[in-house]
Amino acid sequence: MPGERIEQRPRLRAEHLPAETTLVVRGGRDTADKLRSHAQRTARAWSLDGQPLLGISVFAVLGMPLDELLSRRFATFRTIYLPTVARLRRHGFELLPTGQRPHFTVRLQRADDEELSQLLTALGSQQPNRQYARSGIWREEG
Amino acid sequence: MYRVDIAADLNDEDETGYVWAFLDEARDPAQITPGALVVAGDEDAAAVCQVIDLAPAGGGTIVHLRLLPGLVDDYRALVDRALAS
Repeated sequence: MPGERIEQRPRLRAEHLPAETTLVVRGGRDTADKLRSHAQRTARAWSLDGQPLLGISVFAVLGMPLDELLSRRFATFRTIYLPTVARLRRHGFELLPTGQRPHFTVRLQRADDEELSQLLTALGSQQPNRQYARSGIWREEG
Repeated sequence: MYRVDIAADLNDEDETGYVWAFLDEARDPAQITPGALVVAGDEDAAAVCQVIDLAPAGGGTIVHLRLLPGLVDDYRALVDRALAS
């Protein structure tokens, strides 16, 4: 049976937002079209204060070193984005403490071309993920 | 370039700690049942996942997925080894 959007306000974690210098990880490669699709998927599933919540997922580097987070959660991504909290805020994006720590949702207002372009700028350039393919599966050498 | 069983942003997680996706974004929703192994993600980034459960939300059904270790290519190599005569 189809359900309603899941209201996030009572589910937001009660914690201080990360310091401005905190790194935020998102696995990529992203494009405006992909970000729009992801933001709209979030808005379909989640609401905030009764309104569809446009947003994309990121993980803050909190409570564990960057490499451990990359290894645990991002090993299937060849590339990542690694902006700081300050950089996202400077471009006008709010971080919501959704899901389990250290997951956050970068909130969008419209997910139109202009805002998505701004989001891509805020995410910065793609970087190689040094934990890519650090697999838990045995590989035969040679 | 991957062809996935179910489209997902592998960055997404909810309060369960699992990746989530919408059932109606699966190529064959009938295959998405608890315990099933599927490839989730998009054409650039995909992963082998295990279906945990299905739950109603957002006018549809949300699928929770456990990310399994390794790359999709690793699983092909694993199966090739197991089936080698």
